Amino acid sequence: MFEVLEHPADVGFRATGASLPELFESAAEALASIVLDPQNVRPATSVVLTAQGDSNESLLVNWLSEVLYWLDGERFATRSFKVRALDSVHLIAEAKGERRDRARHETRLVVKGITYHQLKIENHGDRWVCEVYLDV
Amino acid sequence: MSERLELQPIDEFRFRIPRSVERGMRTDVVVYSSRKLIEQIRKDQSLDQAVNVAALPGIVGPSLAMPDIHQGYGFPIGGVAALDWRQGVVSPGGVGFDINCGVRLARTSVSLDEARPKLRDLVNQVFRDIPCGTGGEGPVTLEKDELNRVLTDGAASMVERGYGEPRDIEFSEERGCLVNADPEKVSDRAKTRGRCQLGTIGSGNHFLEVQYVEQIHDTRAARALNIEKNQIVVLVHCGSRGLGHQVCTDYLAQMGEAMKKYGISIPDRQLACVPIQSPEGQSYLAAMRAAANFAWANRQAILHFLRGAFRRIFGSETKLDLMYDVCHNIAKHERHEVDGATLEVLVHRKGATRAFPAGHPELPEAYRETGQPVLVPGSMGTASWILAGGEQSMRETFGSVCHGAGRLLSRTAAKKGRNAAEVKSQLEKQGIIVRSETRDGILEEIPEAYKDVDEVIDVVHRAGLAYKVARLRPLGVIKG
Repeated sequence: MFEVLEHPADVGFRATGASLPELFESAAEALASIVLDPQNVRPATSVVLTAQGDSNESLLVNWLSEVLYWLDGERFATRSFKVRALDSVHLIAEAKGERRDRARHETRLVVKGITYHQLKIENHGDRWVCEVYLDV
Repeated sequence: MSERLELQPIDEFRFRIPRSVERGMRTDVVVYSSRKLIEQIRKDQSLDQAVNVAALPGIVGPSLAMPDIHQGYGFPIGGVAALDWRQGVVSPGGVGFDINCGVRLARTSVSLDEARPKLRDLVNQVFRDIPCGTGGEGPVTLEKDELNRVLTDGAASMVERGYGEPRDIEFSEERGCLVNADPEKVSDRAKTRGRCQLGTIGSGNHFLEVQYVEQIHDTRAARALNIEKNQIVVLVHCGSRGLGHQVCTDYLAQMGEAMKKYGISIPDRQLACVPIQSPEGQSYLAAMRAAANFAWANRQAILHFLRGAFRRIFGSETKLDLMYDVCHNIAKHERHEVDGATLEVLVHRKGATRAFPAGHPELPEAYRETGQPVLVPGSMGTASWILAGGEQSMRETFGSVCHGAGRLLSRTAAKKGRNAAEVKSQLEKQGIIVRSETRDGILEEIPEAYKDVDEVIDVVHRAGLAYKVARLRPLGVIKG
């Protein structure tokens, strides 16, 4: 679950999840759907994504930077994300998708990077929420 | 919001936030603005961000805000800060994700009258030959060793490969290359992201515009820059693409850790910084220079393909000469006079353009008496400006001025209640043809989303930081 947030120059999103792993999955889905239209992406292959950080905040920024690298550097269109392991400093996840094809996967925005600007991760009992701003 | 900050007017175009207002400020903030612009500026967090910059260890002189300032990440966009070369810090956020985002202007031998009837063909040709790159590969793909050469040598590496003319190099800031760039400091990921993107514009606020010289404001300078009324020029606004973005990402991640080692605490994690002379600081600068060189090579490749497109439409004798190329996201090692002493500083220009005045030894011979050309793109469909560096820039702003109009509306607000086809047809009624690779590219960059560029230019002109040479109007716009 996510929604897009306004920023004077760029774009952000608010994502939610029932647990921290789910929060990381929905944040990745938010980023991917800002970059391209995921509707026509086939879950043809799966890749392993990893990230490290010294806090939930840096782990989230580094995780989203990993997702962005696969989208922009490896030209991999993502359909879904599943966090396989998560502790306080490491994250291992699986992403399903296929090679980006401009005919089928409409590019929405080129995201340059994930920022720490007004970054938030909050736990409201059974619900986790994060807010992330992207440089576009 | 910055509305709570106390702003003391210094004169009509200068405002000060004294260092006493926030704990941790090591220096004042000086804002260049007008009474009208300052009210818009105070509505976002940009002045708070300029205050945070004033807290960086080793800052020399004030934290500076240009009239196009708007909220960024860590540093404000339109911010300038000089850090002592030996005692100060370097902050990747003070350069930004798009290292050496900049502007290149080519003057052509085509006149407005010649261009009008062929404008649609020209815009279509340029759109075909110079992709925005949102869908993938660009027109130049490099092997690993070739890419390393680009990272070391910048624009010259492209000219050697046949993408340009030898004289292009002379008319670029730093001759299109920062020395002491180290490709080994650039990660394989950054190289993978950038390898296929040479010769592409990118998206966001990046664009390529076919324009004409609407008005000359300084005849002597215009003559030196070889431009005249109703001449067709082309303005290219883009940077180091995915390669630069990844360099920033990589070093921001490293610096979070390194800051603890150096005992640096900052008000905003996006301002992460390390001492310039530390191994981490030197590594970042070597990688940043490499990314800057990639950006110059990118704009050089674009100029090459632009020449091809113009010659296909207007004939093989058509000339496109590089007038100048400036970067506006960069950190540069420079010498400046501060309180009567010459200091070595690292000038962070985050959305700010170098503007060296007449007589500066780094200017090409042809522009030595004019001052450095400063290229300021406006919003889509309005106007852009050619300025030249003024005397006050060296005295007050470490040789820097504004870089654009400055954003006013968020992307979401810009899109609200509008559709791309209507915006396109409104622009066409004004004689402006727009092509975009993405549906939202046009909507997010509508003229109403930006401040009035003429107002911004008036401030820097009247403050003596740069002076007006010519106003340019768009005819064809290509956007990501």
